[in-house]
Amino acid sequence: MTQAWVLIPAILILPALLAVAGMLSRSARVALGICAAGTVATGALMAALAALVPHGAAVTVPGGWLRVDSLSALHLVVMAIVFCLGALQAPGYFRHGVADGSFDRRTARRYAGLWFGSLAAMAAVLLSNNLGLMWVGIEATTLLTAFLICVTTTPGSLEAMWKYLLMCSVGVALAFTGTLLLAASAGRTGIHGTEALLWTSLAASARGLDVQLVKAGFVFIVIGYGTKAGLAPMHNWLPDAHSQAPAPVSAVFSGFLLNAALYCILRCLPVAEAATGDAGWARGILVAAGLVSILTAAAFVVVQRDLKRLLAYSSLEHIGIVTLGAGIGGVGAFAAMYHMVLHSIAKSTAFTGAGRLIEIFGGNDMKRIRGSLSAAPLWGTCLLVSLLALVGTAPFGLFFSEFMMLRAAFDAGSYAVGAAFLAGLSIVFIGVLRHAIPMAWAPGEKPANPHVPGIVEWLIVALPLAALLLSGLWMPSFVREAFAAAASVTGVLP
Amino acid sequence: MLDIVLVALILSNFVLLGSSRLSSCIRTAALQGIMAGLLPLATAGAGLSLRIVALGLAVVALKGFVFPHLLNRALRESATSREVQPFVGYTPSLLAGLLALAASFWLDGRLALPTHSASSILVPVSFSLMFTGIFLLVARRTAVNQVLGYIVLENGIYAFSLAVVRDIPFLVELGVLMDMFVAVFVMGIAIYRINSEFDHIDSDRLSTLKG
Repeated sequence: MTQAWVLIPAILILPALLAVAGMLSRSARVALGICAAGTVATGALMAALAALVPHGAAVTVPGGWLRVDSLSALHLVVMAIVFCLGALQAPGYFRHGVADGSFDRRTARRYAGLWFGSLAAMAAVLLSNNLGLMWVGIEATTLLTAFLICVTTTPGSLEAMWKYLLMCSVGVALAFTGTLLLAASAGRTGIHGTEALLWTSLAASARGLDVQLVKAGFVFIVIGYGTKAGLAPMHNWLPDAHSQAPAPVSAVFSGFLLNAALYCILRCLPVAEAATGDAGWARGILVAAGLVSILTAAAFVVVQRDLKRLLAYSSLEHIGIVTLGAGIGGVGAFAAMYHMVLHSIAKSTAFTGAGRLIEIFGGNDMKRIRGSLSAAPLWGTCLLVSLLALVGTAPFGLFFSEFMMLRAAFDAGSYAVGAAFLAGLSIVFIGVLRHAIPMAWAPGEKPANPHVPGIVEWLIVALPLAALLLSGLWMPSFVREAFAAAASVTGVLP
Repeated sequence: MLDIVLVALILSNFVLLGSSRLSSCIRTAALQGIMAGLLPLATAGAGLSLRIVALGLAVVALKGFVFPHLLNRALRESATSREVQPFVGYTPSLLAGLLALAASFWLDGRLALPTHSASSILVPVSFSLMFTGIFLLVARRTAVNQVLGYIVLENGIYAFSLAVVRDIPFLVELGVLMDMFVAVFVMGIAIYRINSEFDHIDSDRLSTLKG
């Protein structure tokens, strides 16, 4: 038990080695195989580490720079699930490219290197206790994932990549300014040097920090990391990047990249909140940012015609919901954790199905995708059920997390917030179902290539969908404790 | 010594805002990078250590030589115009620069940051670098110029970090430098690819994806 910390460096080193292995692989098929097997192995390590972290305590590497507590443990599990779903669907998704040579050995090697590189960088974000190191990890993910968007170069993917690169680099640069301001705010408390950047020491002496500087720093951090998390109005890169990237990459973008950036904001939330005297100043900012994102997403979901952009705007909505929940605090924060986990699973699964249907029907336009349930039963069901889960239909877990959040908002007396939240949810519900129903049932010509899905493909659809359904019906006590422990890291429950 | 460097940094901002040729913009940004690299040596005073010297040298090498080289190459390989082609004209740009400078001093007065530095104008200068960087990012048309804007923004943040946090851990400093290097490198490759795909590097014409 005391030696659990050795897993932390192992999680960082293993993907680095796998990246090298991937870049040296003999053929495209081998590279994708290494991606799948290596991601599952790293995911197992992450899950093991998360299981070893006691609720409300932490595992720290000697020196104090790397540390896992309940919040990071929960994110580690989500990350493992999302990356495994992405990696396992990749061989099937790229099989045509491998066969006709457009996804050749060189591309595959680069893909594998970048894939494991982003995996390591995102893990570094979750595992670091040092706010500076966390920033380095986020910036590294930006740069590595930028190339994943244009694995296969098209004008659209290049445009998306440029927007992503520029907006997120600038956003993350502002986040660094915020980090510096936070570190500077510790000037009076006697924390100095290296310790001023350690989250644990900032959190421990939060009440002694310089209030002005903490406020300025938190605003910078919300704007900076918020750009990367896709919070409106800094979300412009998000739909482009999600719609132009290959499906396995979109799954990781929507399922975890956004969460990783939001995680950084959630880390700083308790520090900012305690420093400003628990008056709800920092929480208020998150509530506002969350609501703006939900309503922006609602407006754009209605007018979408492109399937992947629809999913991207739905991610914007859900990131907004998680932010809102964390801002409400208490039961809301618990619901936010619950929602974050389920959204990541549902969205990665939705992108899996969407990627295949787009390939089968030959285009992102939702008007072309018709009667998918009969044309490709597995992928049609996959997309339909995950969309139903995403819009919050009962009995899927997302319904209950949204319901809990609504209750929390009303209990806290924020009726306007609750009403705006409900309005946003309803618009998205109608906007998405208006497309989802014809895509599933409307009559249309049957496409020619009904590819017979393999056993792995059945599993990566059936397991997440079953989990989504089960999550609404039954929550085991260890899961509830994990959510509660993670929520309590983001602040004392009021 | 320190004040001379700081005034030179402000002047370089105005040169960047006012010059019309991309190649001279790259040269100015390089000069600005070298001056930013010298800042830690100037602020350290008596506490000059090997670490500070190494950091300063690394910044000078990266911003003064590696970045301009990368950007010049991107410019050479692209067949587009060497003019800046601003959205906002040169005179309004210079006025915006002045405004940014005034705002920086005002903001510094408002925030009352606990600085360790030898010069009282280090913080406002760093703010004005950040503002100018963001202005260049949004007000210039070509991708190369946007990268220059990003570099100026980073120079500002770097100067700011010297002013408010005396000792950032070395590992973090290295990480930040590395990231910046890779960022500009990646942007260089992106410009190259955009250029080979579109025959231009005008980022305002990258506008197919919307809604």
